[in-house]
Amino acid sequence: MSQYYLFQDQKKCIGCMACVVACKTRQNLPRGPFPSLLVTIGPRWIGHLPRTAYTFMPCFHCENPWCVAACPTGAMFQRAGDGIVTVDPDLCVGCKTCISACPWGAPQWNPNTGKAVKCDYCHDRVEAGLAPACVTVCPTQCLYFGTPEEIPEIRRERYARARAHDL
Amino acid sequence: MSPHTCSVKSLHEELRENLTSGNPAHPWCRQKVSEIFDLVHDVSQGQAGEKHLDSILYLAEQLSEQGPDSACRELGQYVTVFVNQNHEEFLSHIRTHTCPTGHCPMLTPAPCQMACPAGIDVPSYVTLAGQGKYAEAISVIRSDNPFPWVCGLVCTHPCEFMCVRGRMDTPISIMDLKGFAAEKSMSSRQYLNPEPMPDNGRRVCVVGAGPGGLTAAYYLALEGYRVTIIEALPVPGGMMMVGIPRFRLPREVIDREISMIESLGVELRLNTRFGTDVTLESLKSEGFEAFLLAVGTHGTYKLMVPGEDDFQGVLPAVPFLRRVSLGDHRMPGRRVAVVGGGNVAMDAARTSIRLGCEEVHVLYRRTHDQMPAHHEEVVEAEEEGVQFSYLTLPREITGENGKVTGITCVRTRLSKPDENGKQRPVPVEGSEHVVAVDVVIPAIGQEVISRGLESFDQVNWTRRNTIRVNTVTMQTHQEAVFAVGDAVTGPATVVEAISGGKKAANAIHRYFEGIAQPALPSVPVRRRRLEHFEVPAALKTDLQRPQMSLLNNERRRVTFQQVRLGLDDNQAHNESKRCLRCDICIRCGKCVEICRDKMGIEALCLGYIDFDNPGPTDLRITAERCIACGACATNCPTGAMQMEDHGGYRVLSLCGTVLNRLQLEYCEICGAVLGPARYHDYIMQRVKDISPEMGNRRVCLECARKQSGGYHAEISPPRQ
Repeated sequence: MSQYYLFQDQKKCIGCMACVVACKTRQNLPRGPFPSLLVTIGPRWIGHLPRTAYTFMPCFHCENPWCVAACPTGAMFQRAGDGIVTVDPDLCVGCKTCISACPWGAPQWNPNTGKAVKCDYCHDRVEAGLAPACVTVCPTQCLYFGTPEEIPEIRRERYARARAHDL
Repeated sequence: MSPHTCSVKSLHEELRENLTSGNPAHPWCRQKVSEIFDLVHDVSQGQAGEKHLDSILYLAEQLSEQGPDSACRELGQYVTVFVNQNHEEFLSHIRTHTCPTGHCPMLTPAPCQMACPAGIDVPSYVTLAGQGKYAEAISVIRSDNPFPWVCGLVCTHPCEFMCVRGRMDTPISIMDLKGFAAEKSMSSRQYLNPEPMPDNGRRVCVVGAGPGGLTAAYYLALEGYRVTIIEALPVPGGMMMVGIPRFRLPREVIDREISMIESLGVELRLNTRFGTDVTLESLKSEGFEAFLLAVGTHGTYKLMVPGEDDFQGVLPAVPFLRRVSLGDHRMPGRRVAVVGGGNVAMDAARTSIRLGCEEVHVLYRRTHDQMPAHHEEVVEAEEEGVQFSYLTLPREITGENGKVTGITCVRTRLSKPDENGKQRPVPVEGSEHVVAVDVVIPAIGQEVISRGLESFDQVNWTRRNTIRVNTVTMQTHQEAVFAVGDAVTGPATVVEAISGGKKAANAIHRYFEGIAQPALPSVPVRRRRLEHFEVPAALKTDLQRPQMSLLNNERRRVTFQQVRLGLDDNQAHNESKRCLRCDICIRCGKCVEICRDKMGIEALCLGYIDFDNPGPTDLRITAERCIACGACATNCPTGAMQMEDHGGYRVLSLCGTVLNRLQLEYCEICGAVLGPARYHDYIMQRVKDISPEMGNRRVCLECARKQSGGYHAEISPPRQ
C-alpha cells in the first residue's frame, strides 16, 4: 500500500464527474482512457425513493501490484519512497499486459501515445505540497487525500451521531 | 541513411520540443505554433497539399508581426526564414511524397525505387501486377518510364541488386514482372497514353530517336509541346534498335512502344542527319525554340594494335550490330574473335553464333568475375557455344592477302590491388600466342560522333568527349540546348538514358515557363501507397524466384528468336507475393527490438532488415512464440506491422504477411474482446506469485471496474 490514502465520502458525492474531468485534463488524454472513474450505482428504489450512489475508482496503489509484476519492460513501477505505482512512458512499449493484469482496471490505454496511463496520485502536485487534481476540484469536498492517519473519522463520527440520535 | 538531415523533420522536432517544454507560454502564440506544428506534421506524413506551405508561412508571419512578446516574434521569424531557405525540400515532400533522407518514416522510399535511375515506384507496380491490374501497373511505370516493355526485357535492373528480399533469399524478379505486365496490357489493348495537356504551340527539336530522346519527347508531348525528332538512321529506337540484338529485344516491342509515343503527336524524321540534312539555322527558322541532343555513342574505340587498319575483317562491334539489326544477316567469317567483356561484346559474340560462325571467341584481359557484362548474358553466351579466353590481351592483328588470319595475344596476370582496390592486367612476357580467326570484332568501348554538332558552338565537351551538362537539369552551357543519354554519360544503359530524358523534359518545361530550375537532384515519386494483400508466412517464405524458361539451345544457335520466354501468370502472381513491400516497411527494426529486448519474447526473426549484415530470417517462428501483445504494431512508425481482430482471431501481419493468428477470448460478463489465451497465460505466469488463485478470470476492463466499484453499503443488496 502506498503511504497515501484517498478517501471518498460517498454520502457527500453528487456524481458531478469534476474529478474525472480534472484527471483527464491534467494528463492531456483523448477519448477513451479514464485513469480515475466515478462508477454510478443505481438508480435503485430504496423504500419509495430512487437513489443513486457513486464510487470513486482511482488506482488503489496496491502493496503487491499485479500491473508491476506483469510489466515486462519495467515501465510500471512502485516508487520506493511513498509506494505510488506509476508508469514511465519512456520505457512503456504498449503491450497492455498491465491493463489486462489489473483486477480493477486501473491502468488505461492512451491511443494517442500508444502507451499505458494510470492514476499516479498526481505525484508532482503531491511533491509540491498540493492535493491531487481530483481532490482539488471536488465541489462537495467529498474526496480526502492524505496519509491514513490524517483521514477524518467521518464514517465513525456519522455512525456515532446516528446511534446518538436513536437514543 | 544520408548524413543530410531532412529539414521538414528537423523543423517538426524543433516545434515539438518547443511545445512540450512550454514555449511559447502565451496562449495565442501557443495556438498558432501548434497549428504550424500540425501543418508541418502533415508535410512529414505526406498528407499535405501545396497550400500547406502558404498556410505555414502565413501563420509564421502572424506570429512575427502580431506576437505579444519578443520570444514569440522571434519564433515566427525563425520559421519564416527556415521554410523559405528549405522551400524546395518542403515542396518536394509535398509533391513527391518521398523523403530521400529517410527521416520521415511515412515517406521513406523503398531501396529498389531509390536504385532505379528512372525512379520507378517498384513496390506499387509489383503489387498491381500481382493483383492482375496490368494496365494500372503500366500507368504507374509510365509515370516515370515510357518504355516498360523494353526495360522489362533488357534493363540492367539495379533495383534487383538492392532488393531487400535478396537479403533473405533471392531478389524479386522486378524486371521480368515489368515485362510481363507490359506484354499483358499491350495484348489486351489496355496499354494507354495518359491524356496530354492542350497544345501550347511551342516547338522542341530532339536530335536522336534513342531512349533518351524519345523519353524527353514523350514527357514534353504530355505537357503540350510540339516535338520533332531528327534521326539519322532509317529506324527509330537508337541503340535499342541497332545495338541490342533481336534475340534479347524483339523489334515489335520497340516499335509498339515508340508508336505509343508517336500517337501523342511526336513527329519522327528518319534518315535525317543533323548537320547535313538539316542545320541549326534551318531548324530555328522552322520555329524550334529548344534543342535536345541525344545522339548516343555510335563511334567505337579502336584497339590501338598494329594491323587493325590493314586488313579486311576487322569489324567494330557497333557497326557490326547495326548492320545485322538493319537486316544484313550474312556471316562475317568462319571464326570470330570478339575483344572485350561488356554487354556489347556478349551481344556481338551471340549474334555471330546466330549468323553461322563456327568458332566464336571472346578475349577479355581480366577475369570472369571482373567482366562488366551481365552475368545472365555471359551464361547464355556460354550455353550457346561462345568460347571465353580470360586474362588475354590482343597485341597484333595479323593477316595475309589483305585479309585477317589471326590475332596475336599475350596472357596477363592481375596486379596487386592499388589504393582503390582495383587490379590492373599486366602482360606476362613470353606468353604470346595466336588465335586463328577470320574476323576480329573490337568491343572495348564507344564514343560520341561529334561531327555535325559544331553549330552548337557554346556546348562544352568533357575530356572523355561527352557533352558537359548540369546533371540535375541536363542543361548544356548553351542557352536552350539540353543533352541526354550516352552522349552525356558515355556508353551506359537504356534506363539511364530514360532518366536523363525525363529530367531534360522537366527542365525544358521549366525553361519555357520561366520557373527556376531545381538545385537539388530529382527525387523519386511515390505514385501510390497501396494496401498490401494477405499472404501466409509459410507461403511468403517458401515461394522461390521463378526460373524463366528459355528457348531451346538449338534454336537459339540458328535464329534471332527471343531467348527469354517470359513468366506465366502463375509465376508472376506468386513472384509479386514474395515482395516485402519496402515502401511501407522501412526496416527500422523497432518491432524486433521491442519484441526481443523489451518484451523478452523474441518472436520476430527478421534478419533481412539489417541491410549490410543480414542475419537469418524465419517468418514462421512468430506463430510459435508471439503472444499477440501488439507492442510491435503500436510502435511501428509506418503501419507496416498491424494487429487486428477479425473472424474471432487476433491477426498479426507485417505488410500483409500473416505472422501470427490466435483465437480470441471474450469477457464472461459483457462479451467484449479480451485477447488470445496465450496472452492471458503470459500475464498469469508473471503475476502468479502475487495471486495464484485468479487464474481463470476472463473479465474485461470495464466489467472489472464496475464489479469492484459497483457496491455501495446503503443501496446495494448484501453480498453473499
